[in-house]
Amino acid sequence: MLFNSFDFLFFFIIVVSLYFVLPQPKRWILLLLSSCIFYMAFVPIYILILGFTILVDYFAGIYIEKAQGKRKKLFLIYSLIANIGVLCIFKYYNFINTNFSFLLHGFGLTNPIPYLSILLPIGLSFHTFQAMSYTIEVYRGNQKAEHHFGLYALYVMFFPQLVAGPIERPQNLLHQFRQQHYFDSNRVFEGLKIMIWGLFKKLVIADRLSIYVNNAYNHAPQQDGITLLMATVFFSFQIYCDFSGYSDIAIGAAKVMGFDLMTNFKRPLFAKSTAEFWKRWHISLSTWFKDYLYFPLGGNKRSVPRTYMNLMIVFLISGLWHGANWNFFIWGGINGFYLVFAIITKKWQAHFTKASGLGNFPKVNLFLQIITTFTLICFSRVFFRSQSISDAVFIFKKMATFKGSIFNSGSAIIIYCFFAIGFLLAVEFKKEFYKGTFTLSHNKYFWVRNCYYSLLVILIILIGVFDGGQFIYFQF
Amino acid sequence: MQQLFNSSSLKSFFIKLACFFTLVFLVDFSIGSILKKYYFKQKAGLDYETTYAMDKTEADILILGSSRASNLFDPEIFEQHFNMSCYNAGRYGLPLFYHYAVFKAALKRHTPKIVLLSFDAGNFSKKKEAYDKLSILLPYYNYHPEIRPMADLRSRYEKIKMLSAMYPFNSLLFSIITGNSASAKTKDISFKGYIPISEVMKGPLILTDYTKDRELDTVKINTYKAFIQDCIKLKIKLYIVCPPYKINAIGNDASIAAAKEIAQQYNIDFLDHTFDTTYTSRMELFYDFRHLNITGVKLFCNDIIAEIYSKKDNQ
Repeated sequence: MLFNSFDFLFFFIIVVSLYFVLPQPKRWILLLLSSCIFYMAFVPIYILILGFTILVDYFAGIYIEKAQGKRKKLFLIYSLIANIGVLCIFKYYNFINTNFSFLLHGFGLTNPIPYLSILLPIGLSFHTFQAMSYTIEVYRGNQKAEHHFGLYALYVMFFPQLVAGPIERPQNLLHQFRQQHYFDSNRVFEGLKIMIWGLFKKLVIADRLSIYVNNAYNHAPQQDGITLLMATVFFSFQIYCDFSGYSDIAIGAAKVMGFDLMTNFKRPLFAKSTAEFWKRWHISLSTWFKDYLYFPLGGNKRSVPRTYMNLMIVFLISGLWHGANWNFFIWGGINGFYLVFAIITKKWQAHFTKASGLGNFPKVNLFLQIITTFTLICFSRVFFRSQSISDAVFIFKKMATFKGSIFNSGSAIIIYCFFAIGFLLAVEFKKEFYKGTFTLSHNKYFWVRNCYYSLLVILIILIGVFDGGQFIYFQF
Repeated sequence: MQQLFNSSSLKSFFIKLACFFTLVFLVDFSIGSILKKYYFKQKAGLDYETTYAMDKTEADILILGSSRASNLFDPEIFEQHFNMSCYNAGRYGLPLFYHYAVFKAALKRHTPKIVLLSFDAGNFSKKKEAYDKLSILLPYYNYHPEIRPMADLRSRYEKIKMLSAMYPFNSLLFSIITGNSASAKTKDISFKGYIPISEVMKGPLILTDYTKDRELDTVKINTYKAFIQDCIKLKIKLYIVCPPYKINAIGNDASIAAAKEIAQQYNIDFLDHTFDTTYTSRMELFYDFRHLNITGVKLFCNDIIAEIYSKKDNQ
């Protein structure tokens, strides 16, 4: 069940109506049942996988809390092995097997291990990470083990963020299932507004851009360099609007029912450095890796080379988290390298800014920093969007020619794309640099707010793409 | 229940919601009405061709199909040989559902004597895009009830979506503007729906593996059968034509094979030129691997006409 479908609209209206009709102690049953229905709308049988990880982590949490010393650690390890094991089987098995075959082939041997013909369970990486954060936090003593099985299952399965996050932490979400949420029209409207903006980003911007991007990337040999270059830039906007659009709908849907989910994006298009970009992009995953991988590895508290290594490890694993493919690994590696390079050259950058006089023009400097960051991110995303490393290399070669035209299938597509990007940038620019002023979405006058959100709905109906289908991050 | 109805917020929520929907409804209705007016006022362009095919054409020979219909069948050649009026209602990239809908809409006013249906490789393949593209039919949804079964194939919520006056014109804003512009007619190079291409094919041949993508869509096959049955019922002479491809092919296309078999079952003439060496051996007849250029079209149309005559003679 996609957020951008009528199925979800009806589902959501029914669930929210029932939610406020039911007394608080019964609401978890409704939410859990509706989350099961939501998940089973994709591939019903995969709920068993989810059930398995829920069972394992539920008992692991309780045993970790009860146990002391080494036993405590042992239960955590069991839980992590179970979670990562599920990920490995469903997400990485064929990838590992392919590479193993390749290795054996080098020695003239044939791989006897069969391939699995299975679909990746939707949102597997998201809910597995959320489940892992629970057992880790219980182990660290930051969270009490949840003894109510239904509430724990709901923590993993809460439908707004089940398949593509935000990846929540138990401290933020679990206690909210016990809270009494009254019907508050202001909060409901606030949630609906966030959902409309998310839908706008998905249908008007992301899915519109995807027409151009898919056309270019799926038929790269037939495209001009300029078209591919444009498609690469468009892809950066597409993936941002696709994913943040999903997050907005998730956050908005939860807010309607009284739940506060964590912020997942903070206008990453205006990041001044790649380090800042990762503090603004997919925050729930970035902080997950920071808290559960980077810091345990030593973070930046050990030697300088170790810090570099830790950063590279985090980004390479983050790459593989996105997909079982070497191009995701390289994508992660490039982004890790950006961060390491930025640290190494920090003094030189400051020196350059001073020597070039850019420091005297802070706005120009800021603009250049934003553009440079965006360019670097776009560059790495060629690997993210391509099907393979060879495809990415081919696209880079073609882009480097700077030849051809930017149009690939009619000027209307380009006009819609530029309008969509322009609208997004205008809204985000205002939020970033003029927060609280000239506000339409939160204007003190009801009719101004009403007109603004009506405009968004009208634009969705008028130029939204209703056949765009799935969110990009569902595949992860 | 108590929690819901005791809330003081509830009343204000519904008032605000009503205000919001009223505003959306008013704007939707106003813009939708303007778009509708100008959609049907277009002087040229693809939408105009569809409207003409559905609402105006009274041609004796009707040509239907995707881009290979609109680029490969010159009505003038057919008119000269058969001494009948001819209209090319082919439209770029559209599936069989669309052609059947146009045919059904045209039948409401007029029964053509001959119908030529251009059939392409992969026409029966299972592809979601084929259903998405049926949005082209939505501007006609309200006053052409006969096309609704096809338009409703898009999704089960199409009837609900059609409550919006703007929705049928989703993403059509620029084509409506260009179709109404002063230069629309002068820029229009089509002749009775036929769009000629003069360029000659360059570059290497594409390798097409027909052994892949063999899962066929039964909805498409049933539409094809319904098309044939309607023609038989109304005594319309139907010819299904497969124009040539300039490709390096592996295997045969499953859709063409199935279409040929069904045509034989209904005793319908199936003119298969997919790998006709008269064309495939000559690069200069093609614009690209799917489309003949004007030189190729002249040869092809004359071949089809000769074939139709020979079939008639045999009968």
